[in-house]
Amino acid sequence: MLAVAFLLLILLLALALPVAAALGVLGLLLEQLYSRMPLSLAMGEIAWSSSKDFLLVSIPMFILLGEILLRAGVAERMYDAMIKWLSWIPGGLMHSNIGACAIFAATSGSSVATAATVGTVALPLVKRHGYNERLFLGTLAAGGTLGILIPPSINMIIYAVLTDTSIPKLYLAGIFPGLALAALFMLTVAVLCILRPGWGGRKLPADWGQRIASLIHLLPPLFIFLIVVGSIYAGFATPTEAAALGVVASLGLAWGFGRLSLAMLREVVENAMRTTAMVMLIIVGAYFLNFVMSAIGLTAALTTFIAGLGLSKLEMLLAVIVFYVILGCFMETLSMMITTIPIVAPVMFQLGFDPVWFGIVIVILIEAALITPPVGLNLFVVQSLRKGGSLNDVIVGSLPFVLAMFVMLAVLVAFPGIALWLPAQFS
Amino acid sequence: MTRALDALLRLADRVSLWATWGGGALMLAAAFVVGVDVLLRKFFLFSLGGADELSGYAFAISTAWALSFTLLRRAHVRVDALYGHLPQRMRAALDIAALLALALFASMLAWHASAMWATSWDFAARATTPLQTPLWIPQGLWSLGLILFVLVTLALLLRTVVALAGGDLAAVRALAGARTIEEDAADEAAIAAEVRTTPESLRG
Repeated sequence: MLAVAFLLLILLLALALPVAAALGVLGLLLEQLYSRMPLSLAMGEIAWSSSKDFLLVSIPMFILLGEILLRAGVAERMYDAMIKWLSWIPGGLMHSNIGACAIFAATSGSSVATAATVGTVALPLVKRHGYNERLFLGTLAAGGTLGILIPPSINMIIYAVLTDTSIPKLYLAGIFPGLALAALFMLTVAVLCILRPGWGGRKLPADWGQRIASLIHLLPPLFIFLIVVGSIYAGFATPTEAAALGVVASLGLAWGFGRLSLAMLREVVENAMRTTAMVMLIIVGAYFLNFVMSAIGLTAALTTFIAGLGLSKLEMLLAVIVFYVILGCFMETLSMMITTIPIVAPVMFQLGFDPVWFGIVIVILIEAALITPPVGLNLFVVQSLRKGGSLNDVIVGSLPFVLAMFVMLAVLVAFPGIALWLPAQFS
Repeated sequence: MTRALDALLRLADRVSLWATWGGGALMLAAAFVVGVDVLLRKFFLFSLGGADELSGYAFAISTAWALSFTLLRRAHVRVDALYGHLPQRMRAALDIAALLALALFASMLAWHASAMWATSWDFAARATTPLQTPLWIPQGLWSLGLILFVLVTLALLLRTVVALAGGDLAAVRALAGARTIEEDAADEAAIAAEVRTTPESLRG
C-alpha cells in the first residue's frame, strides 16, 4: 500500500498534472483501491472547513500586503539609507543589498517579492560602481530569501496551519536565525572581498549627518513591521488580524506616497487572488488526501515504516534535509511544503523534534531551494531583472550563500536555542 | 466550432476576471472590517462581533471565484521537471491530461459542495456562532464559484482537444501549457521594474 501510494504520487506529479489535481486524484484512487467506505462524501466538509478557516485568511492578507508594498515605493528610499549605513564594509553595496533585504523581509512574507523589490533598485548600480557582477547578483537572490525567515512569513503561516504550531512562536523563532543568516551572508561577502579586493567595487561614502538623516526612510518599513508583527506581541491582534491591519496600513502608505490608484488596486487584486486560489486549491487537495491516508491506515503504516528503519534522531534529520534538497530541485516551494509537511512533520515530532525549531529548519531549507537550480525561483527573478547575461552568473554568485545556509542549519542543530530562546521568553 | 468555442472562452475570461475583481474587493473589505474591529476592541473595548467568521466566508467565496481566472492564466502549479524535456506533441497530450484531472477533481469538489449547500438549505442550518449565519448563503456563493471553475475547465478542455485534433500544437500550448519558471520570474520582475523609481542620491 505504501509503495503503491508513493509511486502513484510520483507518477501523477511527473505527468505534470496540476499539483492540486494530482493530490485530489491520488486521494480518489486510494479510496477506490483501499477503502470500503465512501470517503469522498467528506470532501465537501473538508473543503468548506479549510476554505473558511480564519487562520488561513492570513494567507490572502499577506499576499495582498506584499503586492501593495511592492507598488508603494517604500523600497527605494530604504535602500538609499542602507547604502549610507553599510557600504563602508569591504564589499560595499553588496552589504546594502543584504541589509535592505533583511529590512524589507520584516514587512514582507515572501522571498520572491523581497528579491524583486530590492533587486530592481540595486541592479543598475552594479556596473556603474564596478562590482563583481556574479557576487552582486548572488547577494540579491540570497538576500531575498530572508523574506520568509524574518517575520512575517507566508511559509511559516502555512507550516503553522499544517502542523498546528503557534504562529507567534514561529515568528519569534525566526528573528535571531534571520538576523544571524543576514550577518553570515555579510561575513561571506566581506571575507570574499578581502581575499579578492577586485570584487568589491566603489564605496559610496557618507558622513554621520547623512546617515542620521537617512533614518527617516526606515520609518515606513518599521511602521509596517510594528503593525503586522508587533501588534501580535502587544497582545491585541491575532496573526490574521495583524495581517489585515497591515493591508490597511500599506494602503495608507501607498496613498501617502501617491501610488494608490484604481489600476494599481486591480493589479494587486488580480495577482493576490491568483496566488491565493492556486495555494488554496492545493491545500484542499492535500487535506482531502491526508484524510483518505489516515482513514485507510496509510499514515500509520508510514510512521511504522519509518520507525522500523531504526534511524537515530540525527540520521533522520539528515535524511529529511537530503529529501528537501532533492525535492527542491523539482517542485515549486509552496506546493512542496503543502504536499510534504503533513506527512513529514508528524514523524519528526514523534521522534522528539520541537515543532517550532523544525519549522525554522524547514524554512531555511526552502530558502536554499529558492536559490539552487534548476527551479530556484529567486535565481530566475534576479536574472529577469537584468538586461541580458547568463543565468549561470546568478547561480554561481549564489553558491557561497547556499553554503552559508547550510552552515546556519548546522549551527541551528548544534544550538537550537538560537531559534527557541526568544519564544521561550514570551511564553 | 473553433470560433464558437473561442467566443465561449472569451466570455469565460470576462466572467472570471469580474469574479476575481469581486472576490478581491471582498477580501479588501474584509481587511478593513477585521482591522476596524481590532482597533475598536483595543481602544474602545467594543467589538463588531463576527468579523472573523464573516471574513472566513469572504475568503472561501473569493478564493472559489478566483479559481477559473487562475486556470485561464495557467497559474495552477505543475511540476515540469519531466514535461520540460518532452517533445511538443507529448506535452500537448499531458496538457489535456492535466485539464482532465483538474476537471475530475473540480467536479467532485463542486458536487460535494453543492450537496452540502442543499443540506444546509433543506434543514435551514445556521452557524453555531453568535451571528447564527444561515449557512446556505455563504455555502451557496462558494459553490457557485466552484461550479464556474468546473464549467470553465470543461470549456478549456474542449477547446484544447479541438486544437490538438486540428494539429494546432501552438494553440494547445498557449491555452493550457504549463507555465515555465522563466515566465513566472519575468512577471515578478516586470511588476518590480514598473513601479521602480531610483532614489535621488543614486541618479546621475
